[in-house]
Amino acid sequence: MLPEKLKSELTAQIARVDHPREMAIDVINALQDHYGYFSDEALAQAADLLGMSPLELDELATFYTFIYREPVGKHVIHVCDSLICWMEGDENLVAHLCDRLGIQMGGTTADGLFTLLPVCCIGYCDRAPAILVDRQVHGPLTIDALDRLIDTLRENHS
Amino acid sequence: MPTLKIDNREINVPAGTKVIEAAERLGIMIPRFCFHPALGSVGACRVCAVAFTEGPVKGIQMSCMIDAQDGMVVSTTDAEAVDFRRHVIEFLMLNHPHDCPVCDEGGHCLLQDLTVAGGHGLRRYRGLKRTHINQDLGPLVQHEMNRCIQCYRCSRYYQEFTGYRDLGVMGIGSRVYFGRSAPGMLESPFAGNLIDICPTGVYTDKPSRYIGRRWDYQRQPSLCIHCSLGCNLTASARYRQVVRHEARPNLEVNGHFICDRGRYGYAYASIADRPRQAMAAGTPGPIVDILAGAREAIQQTVEKHGPGSVAVVVSPRSSLETLAVVKEACGQHGWTGPAAAHTNRQALNRNTAVSCLRPELAVSLAADTEAHDVLVIGADPLNEAPMLALSLRQVQRRGGHVIVIDPRGVQLPFDFDHWAVHPSAMGAILQALIQEIGGHRATAPDTPATFDITKLARRLNASPRPVVVCGTDILTPHEIALAGDLARALRRTHKVAGLFYTLAGANAFAAALLHDQPVSTEAVLDRIEDGGVRLLVAVEQDLWREFPDRKRLQAALKRLDHLVVLDYVDSPLNREAGHFIPTQPLYESGGHWINQEGRLQAASPVMAGGEPIEITGGSDHPPRVFDRRIPGDEPLAAWRAVAALAGEDEADPAPQLKTALADFHPAVNLSTPEATGQRIDLEAIAHDLVESGPAPEPAEDDAPADAVVLLLVDWTFGTEPLSAMAPALTRMEAAPVARLHPDEIARLGLAEGRPVTVSLNGNRLTVPVQADPRMAAGVMAVPRHHLLEWQVFGETRVIVKRSQLKAESE
Amino acid sequence: MTATYPQVLLKNRKPDRITTLSEYREAGGYEALRRVLTEMDRQEVKTRLADALLLGRGGAGFPAGIKVSTVAEDAPFPRYLVCNADEMEPGTFKDRVFLHAEPHMLIEGMALAAYSIRASHGIIFIRPEYESAAKILEREIGIARGEGLLGERILGSDYDFEIVVHRSGGRYICGEVTAQLNALQGRRPNPKQPPPYATDKGLWGLPTLANNVETLACIPHIVKNGAQWFKDLALTPEAAGTKLFCVSGKVNRPGCYELPLGIKLSEIIETCCGGMKDGATFKACLPGGASTGYLTADHYHIEMDFDSLKKARNRLGTGAVMVFDHHCCMVAATLNLTEFFARESCGWCTPCREGFPYLRDLLWRIENGQGEAGFIPMIKTMCRHLWKSYCAFAPGGVASIESLLMNFEDEVMAHIEGKGCPFKK
Ligand SMILES: Cc1cc2nc3c(=O)[nH]c(=O)nc-3n(C[C@H](O)[C@H](O)[C@H](O)COP(=O)(O)O)c2cc1C
Ligand code: SF4
Ligand code: FES
Repeated sequence: MLPEKLKSELTAQIARVDHPREMAIDVINALQDHYGYFSDEALAQAADLLGMSPLELDELATFYTFIYREPVGKHVIHVCDSLICWMEGDENLVAHLCDRLGIQMGGTTADGLFTLLPVCCIGYCDRAPAILVDRQVHGPLTIDALDRLIDTLRENHS
Repeated sequence: MPTLKIDNREINVPAGTKVIEAAERLGIMIPRFCFHPALGSVGACRVCAVAFTEGPVKGIQMSCMIDAQDGMVVSTTDAEAVDFRRHVIEFLMLNHPHDCPVCDEGGHCLLQDLTVAGGHGLRRYRGLKRTHINQDLGPLVQHEMNRCIQCYRCSRYYQEFTGYRDLGVMGIGSRVYFGRSAPGMLESPFAGNLIDICPTGVYTDKPSRYIGRRWDYQRQPSLCIHCSLGCNLTASARYRQVVRHEARPNLEVNGHFICDRGRYGYAYASIADRPRQAMAAGTPGPIVDILAGAREAIQQTVEKHGPGSVAVVVSPRSSLETLAVVKEACGQHGWTGPAAAHTNRQALNRNTAVSCLRPELAVSLAADTEAHDVLVIGADPLNEAPMLALSLRQVQRRGGHVIVIDPRGVQLPFDFDHWAVHPSAMGAILQALIQEIGGHRATAPDTPATFDITKLARRLNASPRPVVVCGTDILTPHEIALAGDLARALRRTHKVAGLFYTLAGANAFAAALLHDQPVSTEAVLDRIEDGGVRLLVAVEQDLWREFPDRKRLQAALKRLDHLVVLDYVDSPLNREAGHFIPTQPLYESGGHWINQEGRLQAASPVMAGGEPIEITGGSDHPPRVFDRRIPGDEPLAAWRAVAALAGEDEADPAPQLKTALADFHPAVNLSTPEATGQRIDLEAIAHDLVESGPAPEPAEDDAPADAVVLLLVDWTFGTEPLSAMAPALTRMEAAPVARLHPDEIARLGLAEGRPVTVSLNGNRLTVPVQADPRMAAGVMAVPRHHLLEWQVFGETRVIVKRSQLKAESE
Repeated sequence: MTATYPQVLLKNRKPDRITTLSEYREAGGYEALRRVLTEMDRQEVKTRLADALLLGRGGAGFPAGIKVSTVAEDAPFPRYLVCNADEMEPGTFKDRVFLHAEPHMLIEGMALAAYSIRASHGIIFIRPEYESAAKILEREIGIARGEGLLGERILGSDYDFEIVVHRSGGRYICGEVTAQLNALQGRRPNPKQPPPYATDKGLWGLPTLANNVETLACIPHIVKNGAQWFKDLALTPEAAGTKLFCVSGKVNRPGCYELPLGIKLSEIIETCCGGMKDGATFKACLPGGASTGYLTADHYHIEMDFDSLKKARNRLGTGAVMVFDHHCCMVAATLNLTEFFARESCGWCTPCREGFPYLRDLLWRIENGQGEAGFIPMIKTMCRHLWKSYCAFAPGGVASIESLLMNFEDEVMAHIEGKGCPFKK
């Protein structure tokens, strides 16, 4: 269920713009933040708020990298695998991450804490190799720094 | 008019013609996937590339994206263009399954054709094919996403052209997926066109799956007879069973599409309980004997009670051939009728519309789309004549405007203005509108202020191309005539102003030409009740299903000496009839129909009659019983049967038909083949047939203030009797409900979701209540649904007092 | 090092924070806007832009002055100004650096551009990875509004202009301006070929001007200092202005540097970036992001401006210089880039949607020892055909592949003949 407060906030935001559709991504983001991912339930609610059909919203949701139509872990780790990060050792990082988390690229840890996803160049080539954790950039990364990062995130939850 | 050269041949085309279309005029079919004449150009598939060698555009370009211009020199055979197109096809085949030999689309697949034509025969790509999961899209359309070539035709057609929002494109890149957000029934009643529009086999016809390959079918040009628009289609049959309809493009009528009622409504022609056996009082017998028996019964009745004691009713859905022979027979023998409408109002409605349709006002369904402002009066397009709704959507897409004045909660797949007006106010509004159009201030009738007649009149007056659309189901003749007057008033100040009526029945227009003074079944029943008529011949008119008072009908039939029924649908009356003669549906008889704008159109016979192998073989194949005769081949074209009843025993009926058609009406001329496909001579129709002068006041005027008007209405699926027999369509139907405005539900003490019983003249109708805020106050709309015994009140528009309504507890 | 060249856009850049509004104003910020609103004619802004020969910094290098003047005087209202801060071109991060340094310069630039076409609505389209910049912008827009620099009756004039930040869902194609306009309208971000042009019928069917962050940021300076001043900033006669070069890869100091257009590539690498990393040898670079072709050592001293690169049959693109040393396998690098384009293709047109996965497959086979000599002509033909795609995405995407075959065919053949990647041995 969508909390009344969030719903009324979004309704008010939508009411302020000339064309509700222009708010589609913002509304999707807000609901995704609330549910953890953009679930079918969220899709239906967002469609309702925006006066769009679920399909119309799904047409958008399934297009973008940062909208998750399937459940993801508490922390989403996006590993940049584009040219510079790859050149600066991305393969080692990925192998190490998969190893540490015990999952494949695209997987979510059993405790639901982490999801590992590849991402195209995130615009931090000057800090390669770089990753995003919950849309926050980290880089340039070494294996040690990565381990510390994972440890901190884990500790925050225990 | 630019002149350009394509493959060394010069052509002159209207400005705005795309190069791909210009080439087509020369007979050069440039490959295309995303381009479709109804959807326009988007340049996505890139398979229409040609080389521009001279003129304003240079290089390899997409011929669908470039307007033909003066001085262009185009080569479709340029080596680079050919190689590029070959690559595009190779690209499209990377992920395409290799199942052509068994694919449902094989043999009529554009991708298959172009792959062969484009010379891509050997697979070079060594990677894996991506695969998709298919969706259940409901009973009509089968989904097979792996065949998709991402031309985007389906999503563009579905969303842009039809205005529905539950099918589209998801994902990105080479994984884009066309379908719904979640599996489920497609919402658009025009979804079946996806099958025709998909250039490969992503969307295929579900009911005909695995029945045969298209090249095995007997395919003939045919017509849809499930409403009065007369959409063109191609009917396919296999083993004596009609198995598929496809839209047949007719740019003057239905464009490229048809609705799903028309596409899937054919099952009645081949279902197991279709009567194929002539019967005397329920006992089967050879058809010649039964015909002779019926003829004798008629002769005896005429001898005893005079020719007028024999009456004929015929369906406004019957072919022109049948109507003509019936008319000729009645005229020659002095029989009563033929009646081709149920009630007096319906008969008058139809004839008023036909007589008001002047040649300078008549517009076709296709021309409707070019209108700028359309005023729809007393019509519910999506439910009564679905393709009209699609046509009106194109008006709105082109920047035009649609206003609907109708008491029902009309819904259309686009933005429009709706004046939910009480039926009794329609006439006054129209009158006021006519006055305003003529420049006189009208005293505003008693309607809500939001219905600003002055503004509407101004809008119509200022419109470059106004069209008046008027229904004939819920209105009175007076209002129908006023709609004609309105169009005429607009015509005075407009070069083009159109008038477009919808009628009840695929051949209702022809039925209107049967008499100057229309006869209704209601009037025939009066004559039965007063003893004047003793024998009734019902020709393809299933009175039991369609006459709006079943009790009265049955009582009247009991008074008859004799009943003769000719039909191709099963009905209790068939067994009650003294003589029953099975007839052929249009797939077997062929024939002519005149649609609601007066266009004469032909349907070819698709197959020989006879019981489908599906039935005779008990679904086994091949059949185990062999005979020289086809089992169940007795049914006759109705006109032949009528000719046999009216004429001599062994006489050849062909000359009789010829005379009957020639005598049918001066407006209808079948003597030249060119006449078919054209509008008949509307000038030759007596336009004073029904005058619009002082007409009978609507009965509602005398009704108490707390009464409601009950309208028994059409729905897209479930009410039209023939299509309601199609199993695929019954899954599309909504359950019957009585729709009322929520305030009205409260006022009448009813409850949403609970049944209401209407009791009138000792008859009762019980149906659950549904709130519809778009309904006018004081109105209740109930569908003439096949799951509802709605044939109770003798009319489809009746006044119900509050005391006659009862809320049921469950 | 860089201090030897005049700094315009990054003059007041701080190591870890933005230039505040008051700092920006102290340094002469919003002066141009004040002058334009009070003394200057709207036309004058357009004239200066045209005279300054400011070329779009988003990658295509279209003259900004011409684009502004295509918005017809009698075009309908409201009119829109879109700032393209999508910056998803691999290797490119200059807009990010700039937004974290000088948000008000962009705001002022937008106000000026908007004023010149009488636009009332400004939208900054920003990629999700730049959330911190989005927050900064929203905050600073609020501050500017509070100071009467945005909103109604700007600086007491009769001119109203609002800016909102629009967050993208994240896809490279959203940077392409017609796709971006679709995205802004809540539609699928497929590109849309003109006509109509955005300046005629853009957002919601209304006139819309779209420019890159850096392009817009140049405007206040051009208005204030004049066209000639701007032209003089460049080192080569045809070029005008400075450019934010973002250098990454095998150099000692990757980063974003403001340098005059026309500066030599060698100087960027050696002087600004401290030379090649670990004393390696320069092998090649992409001069302007993933959509440009490789420059080899032959072009080590090329003058980095739009014209010179065009003459070298390459493009300045976004000015994102991605540097490779002699350890790098160019087949593997190109495979990586092709993977990017295969993944990000919007899926609208056939050659791009299907061609990149096909090319990726062929390159993967070459890199992994399954290559065949016959692949090379196949790849060349396909690349040529991908130029006939619907939008500029695919021509950009094949740039690296085409230049791989042009400049490094030996290396490709070595993969094929040696049945594997020589750099992995
Ligand atoms: C695939 C593709 C991606 C693009 N991405 C960006 C981008 O991220 N940022 C940008 O400013 N321009 C991008 N562009 C260029 C824009 O389409 C457009 O030319 C530019 O924003 C116009 O601004 P300018 O004239 O100021 O450069 C892209 C173009 C293409 C074809
Ligand atoms: S080239 Fe075609 S598929 Fe590729 S991004 Fe452009 S439109 Fe989309
Ligand atoms: S390549 Fe990884 S951030 Fe740019």
